[in-house]
Amino acid sequence: MGLSRREFIKRTAALTAASYAGLSLPISNEDYSAHASDADSWHKGTCRLCGSGCRLELEVKNGKAVALRGIPQSRTNMGYLCMKGMLFYKLMGNNHPERLKKPLYRARKDQPFREISWDRALDIASKEFAKTVKKYGNNSVAYYGSGQAFTEETYIFQKVMRGGLKTNNVEGNPRLCMASAVGGYVTSFGADEPIGSYSNFERASCFFIIGSNTAEAHPVLFRRIMRRKMDNKDTVKVINADPRVSPTSRIADLHLQFAPGTDLALLNAMAYVILEDKLYNEDFLKNYADFRMGKKKKKVSLQKYMAFIKDYTPEKVARICGGNITADKIRKAALWFAKSEGTMSLWTMGINQRSRGVWANNLIHNLHILTGQLCRPGADSFSLTGQPNACGGVREGGGLCHILPAHRLVKKNKLRHQVERLWGIPEGRIPPKPGYHTMAMFEAVNEGKIKAIWINCTSPAQSLPNCDKYRKGMRREDVFIVVSDIFPTKTTELANLILPTAFIFEKTGVYGCTERRSQLTVKAVNAPGEAKPEVWMVREWALRLSKELNDPVIKKCVEPFMGKEPDYELPKAIWEEYTQKLTKGRDNDLSGATYEVLEKLPDGVQWPAPTKQWALKGGTDIKFVRGLDPLADKYAKNDLPYQFYGPAHPDRKLWIWLRPQKGPAEMPDSKYPFYLSTGRIIDHWHTSSMTGRIIELMRANPYAYVEVNPKDAERLGIKPGDMIEVVSRRGRNILPAKVYVGPCEGMVFVYWHDEDENRMINRVTKDAFDPGSKEPEFKICACRIKRVSGPRPLKPFLVHMKA
Amino acid sequence: MKGQFLRSCILVLAVALVVACPAWASKNTPSSKPASAHPELSAQEKLTPCSQCHKDATPTVYKEWYNSVHGIDNVKCFQCHGTYEDIKASPDEATCASCHNAQYMKRPKNKKCWDCHPAHYFFIHK
Repeated sequence: MGLSRREFIKRTAALTAASYAGLSLPISNEDYSAHASDADSWHKGTCRLCGSGCRLELEVKNGKAVALRGIPQSRTNMGYLCMKGMLFYKLMGNNHPERLKKPLYRARKDQPFREISWDRALDIASKEFAKTVKKYGNNSVAYYGSGQAFTEETYIFQKVMRGGLKTNNVEGNPRLCMASAVGGYVTSFGADEPIGSYSNFERASCFFIIGSNTAEAHPVLFRRIMRRKMDNKDTVKVINADPRVSPTSRIADLHLQFAPGTDLALLNAMAYVILEDKLYNEDFLKNYADFRMGKKKKKVSLQKYMAFIKDYTPEKVARICGGNITADKIRKAALWFAKSEGTMSLWTMGINQRSRGVWANNLIHNLHILTGQLCRPGADSFSLTGQPNACGGVREGGGLCHILPAHRLVKKNKLRHQVERLWGIPEGRIPPKPGYHTMAMFEAVNEGKIKAIWINCTSPAQSLPNCDKYRKGMRREDVFIVVSDIFPTKTTELANLILPTAFIFEKTGVYGCTERRSQLTVKAVNAPGEAKPEVWMVREWALRLSKELNDPVIKKCVEPFMGKEPDYELPKAIWEEYTQKLTKGRDNDLSGATYEVLEKLPDGVQWPAPTKQWALKGGTDIKFVRGLDPLADKYAKNDLPYQFYGPAHPDRKLWIWLRPQKGPAEMPDSKYPFYLSTGRIIDHWHTSSMTGRIIELMRANPYAYVEVNPKDAERLGIKPGDMIEVVSRRGRNILPAKVYVGPCEGMVFVYWHDEDENRMINRVTKDAFDPGSKEPEFKICACRIKRVSGPRPLKPFLVHMKA
Repeated sequence: MKGQFLRSCILVLAVALVVACPAWASKNTPSSKPASAHPELSAQEKLTPCSQCHKDATPTVYKEWYNSVHGIDNVKCFQCHGTYEDIKASPDEATCASCHNAQYMKRPKNKKCWDCHPAHYFFIHK
């Protein structure tokens, strides 16, 4: 007896969720597919939805965005796009009815929003911030930005906050994803951001992918790795180290599935094998490396390092790591790593979002320094960035509380005063003390120490770990919240003032992707309704603030940008100031990368690019190599081919760190016996306020679910589609189960994009953070799981504006 | 029972499920089918990823895709074929150009992409 079609579909649907009748999505699917020959025009730009920096062209017909296609000449994506990159034109202009189009205001958060004019909105924003500064001091206000904002936007926000409002309370969501990578690069190599480039994908003979589901988080870069592997099946090795088997594991020759939080031991054990089997590069160590330990960065000898590493025998570490780890696998991985012609390590949040994320970064770099797997073709220690402009805008543009533009530390008097001089503001205007880092910032909101905050282009109400704790503070009536964004989110729900912003291709600006590459997107379509570029908002807000606080220095901060039209001239003027004044002479020198140069290239420019001539060639592919990096030649101190001139290591050495194994802040116990880990899914971006509104993407993954190892599922009587309660000491979710040989036994995994209160996993995660980078440990906490029922009706959820 | 069930599915899903192989479709059917080619589904059923049903309903196509470069790199059904309202059993070639524009521009004009790159395998050049 066969099943009917309907029964069949219902049965298959129950694999992830129960049937829900009568659902209608608030999104249409008008067929925009178009032929090149029909196009009115094509406009070059950068993808908005991950850190890869894929270049693409937007097709515009009759003023309407109708299609996207990759640019084959681009050195990032070579023409390829993922599903998000193909489809996000559906959010542009008037293509989506739910775009925020008018400023919205409410004096109290228990009141409904009402539409107001821009004049009124900017008056309110400036009066509230001025009132707060007068009453509670400069540190009672804050800016919380985004790795998705253009560099020009982050730069002008932080300039007005620091130079105008005299506070370093400038933060952004890259603190939640990349801060440990920054800490790792600065402490190991003396300079932030990767040494090499994506070009190493085609030159590497061994890929060591740890803590990264590249296939889903960076699908177009994964394509390049996959292609390299498939074209060289026997000679190129792929090692995938992760507590969870993921789509990335499909191309792996060796999968190291370790228990969550044992990564530091695993990396030290690989170093043990490299030392024991004499696989290290003696010349490289002699010429370029030093050994360091402790908070005081004490210099130690190779012998001391060897004595330290003796504690990490592969046999012992295999027992610590659990999972499928054996001593033989560790030895094999170390051998492949050390002996290959070029080894490229790749990692992202699995390493960074740890309470010892900086240490984990250091230990990956250690392997590269020990073996000399750096600076030569295919050899690189390469952190993959999550957001399109976390590197360019926030790490380089001064978007974190402790850094000023162009990798200058706030606490360094000389560098701080340099910035003040370049801005033409009085010395001493920028406070010498860094502001609140992200977790401290939202703790300060909880405690009522921050009374006014502007949140731009991000949704901390959903993306902060242990978010219920911080939503309480954001609900306070004595905390004034401005949110600028393109759609309603969990954070606009907590705002007093919502400012509708222009989306990418509706404004002009630069994104700097993972490989030090800055790429320009020029406005191609009009923003819907009254949505405006942020750079215009900040300029107008600063002028009003200057009047309210009777402080001409605030006006001085935006004076160079007065009278510029906001769609192109204004961001161009901001970029010129940033690159020509602030980056000139710094390690991320972008003074050759003017708008004119960026517009000429299919992709963009990799810094350092100190001259237009160099920038027009694309900039610097590999840093620190004489003949390839103009600054390596300029700052050369000897005849060696590599010159590690990074600003943080005056000794010009790479530092190998002695870092012991350290587990997560919260380990499973009898009450909460499972590890909980979280991550990204290919179809969605962050909190899904954008991708959830693209019908193809929403349908591909309409709900978050909890992945349970089949052995655990059997033991707990869990079947696919059953509703599972996931509980931690902080919060609770109820999600459908996916029984899957993904997470290792004793671990569950949940995607974090879902906005539904029952499936919003950051209500459950822990807000412990790395003491160095202050990046939270999203990747590990303890939880318990329980089957609460069979499959139940579910529906996708998005935050909508209440009428 | 499984065999009966699959036969039943294939019969019911008829055209859409068979012509989901564009190589076949290019020779036997017009280049695209209207949205109605896919059997009608409820709004809830449309929230099911294509591969979830097609894994059983068109197992050969599924396996070909899963083991292809598209499958390994997670290029999903809807990226070429669209979703329910605009589904095309045989994709519009402009869709291929989203990722393969250089190849699309220099392709022989008398051929479809899949005449040389068999649908769902892709990496084999005919």
